[in-house]
Amino acid sequence: MTMPPLLRVAVLDDDDDLAATVARLLSRNALPASAFSVPHSLLDALPSGDFGCVVSDIQMGEVDGFTFAETLRAADPCVALVFMTAWPTTTHAVDAVRRYGGLDYLEKPIDEARLIAAVREGLDWSGRERRIAAITQSFTRREREVFDLLVRGHSNKEIAERLSISARTVEDHRAAIVTKTRANGLSQLIALSRGEEV
Amino acid sequence: MMTGRVLPFSKPLPLHRLALRASDLPLLALYGLAFALLHWASHPWSGLGFFSLWYPAAGLRFAVLWRRGTRLTPWLILTEVLTDGIVGTIPLTGVAAVQGITGAMRPGLTCGIAIAVARRLSRGKSEALALPPMILGIAAVLAPLLNAAMVLPFAMFLPDAGRYQLGVATIISLIGLTVGDLLGILVLAPALLWLAALIEADVRLPAITPERRRRLAAALLEHTIVLTLSLVLTMLMLRAGVGVRPAPGLLAGAWIGLRHGRVAAWVAILVQVAAFLPFSAVELDDGERLTLHLWITGIVLVTWLAGSFSDAQKAAREVLERRNRLLFQAERLKTLRAMSVAVIHEISQPLSTLAIEARHLRDATAGLDPDIADSAALVDRKAQALSELVRRLRRFGGRDVDEPAALPVMTLLQTARQIVAPELNATLGTLFIAPVPPDLVVQVQEIELTQALVNLLRNAIAASPGRTVSIITRKDGEDVRIAVSNPLDRPEPSGPDTYAGMGVGLVIARTIVEAHGGTLARGDADGSARFVLSLPLVPASPLPADLLPPDLLSGARA
Repeated sequence: MTMPPLLRVAVLDDDDDLAATVARLLSRNALPASAFSVPHSLLDALPSGDFGCVVSDIQMGEVDGFTFAETLRAADPCVALVFMTAWPTTTHAVDAVRRYGGLDYLEKPIDEARLIAAVREGLDWSGRERRIAAITQSFTRREREVFDLLVRGHSNKEIAERLSISARTVEDHRAAIVTKTRANGLSQLIALSRGEEV
Repeated sequence: MMTGRVLPFSKPLPLHRLALRASDLPLLALYGLAFALLHWASHPWSGLGFFSLWYPAAGLRFAVLWRRGTRLTPWLILTEVLTDGIVGTIPLTGVAAVQGITGAMRPGLTCGIAIAVARRLSRGKSEALALPPMILGIAAVLAPLLNAAMVLPFAMFLPDAGRYQLGVATIISLIGLTVGDLLGILVLAPALLWLAALIEADVRLPAITPERRRRLAAALLEHTIVLTLSLVLTMLMLRAGVGVRPAPGLLAGAWIGLRHGRVAAWVAILVQVAAFLPFSAVELDDGERLTLHLWITGIVLVTWLAGSFSDAQKAAREVLERRNRLLFQAERLKTLRAMSVAVIHEISQPLSTLAIEARHLRDATAGLDPDIADSAALVDRKAQALSELVRRLRRFGGRDVDEPAALPVMTLLQTARQIVAPELNATLGTLFIAPVPPDLVVQVQEIELTQALVNLLRNAIAASPGRTVSIITRKDGEDVRIAVSNPLDRPEPSGPDTYAGMGVGLVIARTIVEAHGGTLARGDADGSARFVLSLPLVPASPLPADLLPPDLLSGARA
């Protein structure tokens, strides 16, 4: 299996200078990053950009960070989000983490070590999500159901009962799954379901 | 709180409050003497039936009860009865004694009741009628009316009840009683009360400034003209054969009272009374005297109430002005807070860029000429210090506004844990939360209280990096106590910076907790710093005891 291409980081802030500075900081720390100052230019670049993590300001001129986060999630559910803000509030901190799936909520001036740690974590998470998506997208709906139960440790017989199909059919699906993933046994399937590289 | 709707004396009085104190005795002795003198002084105006038409002793009684409290009522009554007995006003033997003694008890009792009622009715109200000057005015009118109204009920059960027949003579004598008491109270009581306040240093005579002297002289001149005009007008009307008419006096009294308050009103009353009383004491027959005294009473009443109302209005205006000043102050603070938040924001944005670039510059120049490297390092250090300052200022200052709601303590702790989690990770510390009973619920503004708890946790994490901070919650009666503690190597946090940061966070946490009716106290124990946050619990729903699980019952108190 070939190594997946290295995921990039997008930095979004309506302050050009800060966006560029944060992007350069990340690049210096072996985290290739691009700077954006307008949300829609980042969304435009999304299909070709291969972004694993977006570092976004919350209070921006036209679109606020949370609205942007929803649009971004709809466009690509595998991108990790890190928020930064100059107006930190407890409500926002809770919202950023609970409702918008942000990995961290950073106050400006930014704590560099914390930012880098959060971005690294985000890229890892995104990589895993992408691998899981890549594997399961070739499955049929039934294969997906069988796969989900299989990696949770259910036997063929139990799966057959749960899905109300014959054990024979389960074995067929299982064979198809192994062929498609080129996995070598159940333990590798479980590893794949967790997004681990095999 | 229950206010004026409760009828006074509907509850049994706490009797010990009525007990005679040693310090009352000189007052009572003096009162007996003064009462006898004033009683005697009123005799020139008596004669119609049995009541005096100008009875200053009622004013003395009213002033003492108003100033010293209605708890003295029974003792004043006793003193009056004894005095009357000693000077021979009432017989102390035979059937007439019962009549005399009950008659002598009535005015004191009704006066005490009138004062208590007026005070009770005004409690907790804020309109002009319930302000102190007006309450005194109302009580001063209520007392004589109540006294007259109680004459027949008091007499009804006496052996010779037949003495009082509801007829013209009785009505006239009751009017006379009211008039005499009203005049006595309104003329004498204000002066006595004012003197008492002056002696006991409640009020001070305002310093006589030239400005004040000028205003005083102007007021005096105005009053003299008004009073003179009214007297001249009254005399002219009398000469013209229309008889004694109160209209000019009423007008003058209302004018003076409304313009300059109670002191001016009292002076005007004194002048008018002084003009008429000597005249009515000798030259008039009983019918004419009663008519004249009715007119005077009307004038005195209007003057006095007008003065009281004017003072009450003034007091209300002062209260309003004070509130306006406070509101203005609060508004200014709000603006100031919004401004400082905006300034912090404006600084933090460019500072973010500056701090990152300074750090980069420091790292990039580390190997170069020491002169350049030192400069870059210095710029970096200052940028980081400034960043830290901005972060700290904002962290402890930002507050959202929301409505108080019932919130389980567990939820509060979990939210706070979520917020401080990144800081814990950064310092490699851990947070231990002891199990919290699920029935502990507080009524709070969630955001604010979370902020308070987060401030405490941040302080603890900063003071003991890499260690375990613990939160232990327990119920204590009707409160919940949340203890945040962190291990200490030294007894006190070191360094002025640490201390300053902790101070601000702590002050804000304490303000928030106290606004919720709770307390925040430091109570260090065995090598750890501990802050205990107490909050009142929302009372549990009134479940019958047999529905509660046994473990809850064993833990509950009272």
